Amino acid sequence: MNSNDELIIANKKIALHFIEKAKLVAEIEAATFKLAFQNREKEERAAELTIANIELAFQNGEKERRAAELIVANQELTFQNREKEERAAELLVANIELAFQNKEKAKKAGELIIANKELAFQNQEKEERAAELLVANIELSFQNKEKEKRAGELLIANKELAFQNQEKEERAAELVIANNELLIQNVEKESRAAELIIVNKELEYLNKELEAFSYSVSHDLRSPIRAISGFTKILEEDYADKFDLEGVKTLQSIIHNSNRMGVLIDDLLSFSKLGRKEMIVSKIDMTALVKSIREELFQHPENRIEFNVKVLPPSKGDESLIRQVWVNLISNAVKFSRNRPKTIIDIGAYEENKFAVYFVKDNGAGFEMTYYDKLFGVFQRLHSQREFEGTGIGLAIVQKIIQRHNGVVWAESKLNDGACFYFSLPIITD
Amino acid sequence: MDYKDVEILFAEDTIADATLTIRALTKSGLTSKIHHVEDGAEALDFIYGQGIYSMRDIQKNPKLILLDLKMPKVSGIQVLEKIKVDPNFRSIPIVILTSSKEDPDIKQCYALGVNSYIVKPVDSNNFFQSLKELGVYWMILNQAPL
Repeated sequence: MNSNDELIIANKKIALHFIEKAKLVAEIEAATFKLAFQNREKEERAAELTIANIELAFQNGEKERRAAELIVANQELTFQNREKEERAAELLVANIELAFQNKEKAKKAGELIIANKELAFQNQEKEERAAELLVANIELSFQNKEKEKRAGELLIANKELAFQNQEKEERAAELVIANNELLIQNVEKESRAAELIIVNKELEYLNKELEAFSYSVSHDLRSPIRAISGFTKILEEDYADKFDLEGVKTLQSIIHNSNRMGVLIDDLLSFSKLGRKEMIVSKIDMTALVKSIREELFQHPENRIEFNVKVLPPSKGDESLIRQVWVNLISNAVKFSRNRPKTIIDIGAYEENKFAVYFVKDNGAGFEMTYYDKLFGVFQRLHSQREFEGTGIGLAIVQKIIQRHNGVVWAESKLNDGACFYFSLPIITD
Repeated sequence: MDYKDVEILFAEDTIADATLTIRALTKSGLTSKIHHVEDGAEALDFIYGQGIYSMRDIQKNPKLILLDLKMPKVSGIQVLEKIKVDPNFRSIPIVILTSSKEDPDIKQCYALGVNSYIVKPVDSNNFFQSLKELGVYWMILNQAPL
């Protein structure tokens, strides 16, 4: 119902009730005014509402459009929602996985805590060690300085050594050359030594053979010579009346010669024996040795021999062999000077190149130096048997003995002007 | 022959040496009772009364045995060795007569108990003189065990 209609109805009621109707008219007038005002107001309000309505309609359209958009958006969101649900499901799974991993990590964390504590302990240890190292470091740094100082010194020494080293390298190079030379010489000497060993063995064998031969000669030749001499002697004794003077002389000649052959054999033997006799080496007092030989063998009652013996240096060797040397040389000196009115024998010695040289000098027959090479040969003689008897073994024995003592024997002479025999022996160094 | 009068048993294989030795010993008039054998085997047969000497009275021994060193069959040194280890005969004096002083056996002879070792000189004068002296020494001067 319209508010205007209601006001009409109310107005008819007031006309019926007069007094009331006047009051009511005022009131109605006021009310009408108010209502007119309100009406205006409402008209304005309606206009505004219309405007608002239009506005709302517009908004409505907007909203519808918006709703359409929202629907679209909604669909989109629904889709997204589904996506998110799937994603959520996946995340759930991932979450479970993470939860598991989380637990694992918690466990690991527990372990790490323990490890951490251990490391913390170790850390402390290391700190302590570091402190010690620090001290040590200081010490080392001190030592280092010392060493630097020392290194400085060594550097100088090193330079010196480097110089010496170079010198030595040069020397070494020279030595290498010398060494190579020696090596070559060595090889040569070795092959020479090998040859000598072979020759030596041959000589040893020959020597043995010679010894066996000498023994055989001595033993087996003596017997028939003894027989010749002996049976001739029987002839001489038992059959003297059957021989004239010439016959007896012949028998004596046979005996004499066979005896001489016996002497030769003995000489040959004693010579060959020298080579195998073992030497007993000792210090020899030469002065005493010569004195004893003189007293034993050369005491001439008529004092025809003048001995001038100097003090002789001692030597060393086999005394019995050296004695034989002196005996042979002095015997020769006496023998070859026996035709002089007085025999003068000088015995002396001197030193030369670490050898003592002894000599025996006589004033006898001497010999020609032309035949010197025969002087020391076995059975070699420079005088006839008629002049001076002998087998020619004495000097050969002297030479062999001196050679066995690593010495040398030699002689000087002039015919009819005496001879001097020398022999050298190593000097004793004590 | 019973050989009881033999004063010297003489073993020497070289006839010349034997002849000269026997002459030297007998000529001096010291003894003529020499029995000569020509090798060591015969010398041992004589001493032990063996072989051709089986009839010899081995209680009656010579005063001296003269032995050459080099002999056939049994050498002088073997004879020496055998006799000198035998209590029945080792008291018989044995003299070795040899040709050479070069004999390497001289030390061994003494070790085996030889009573003398003589090298016969080549020189006939020396030879006869030496053997005469030997005879005088062993036949007269030396007192043999009975």
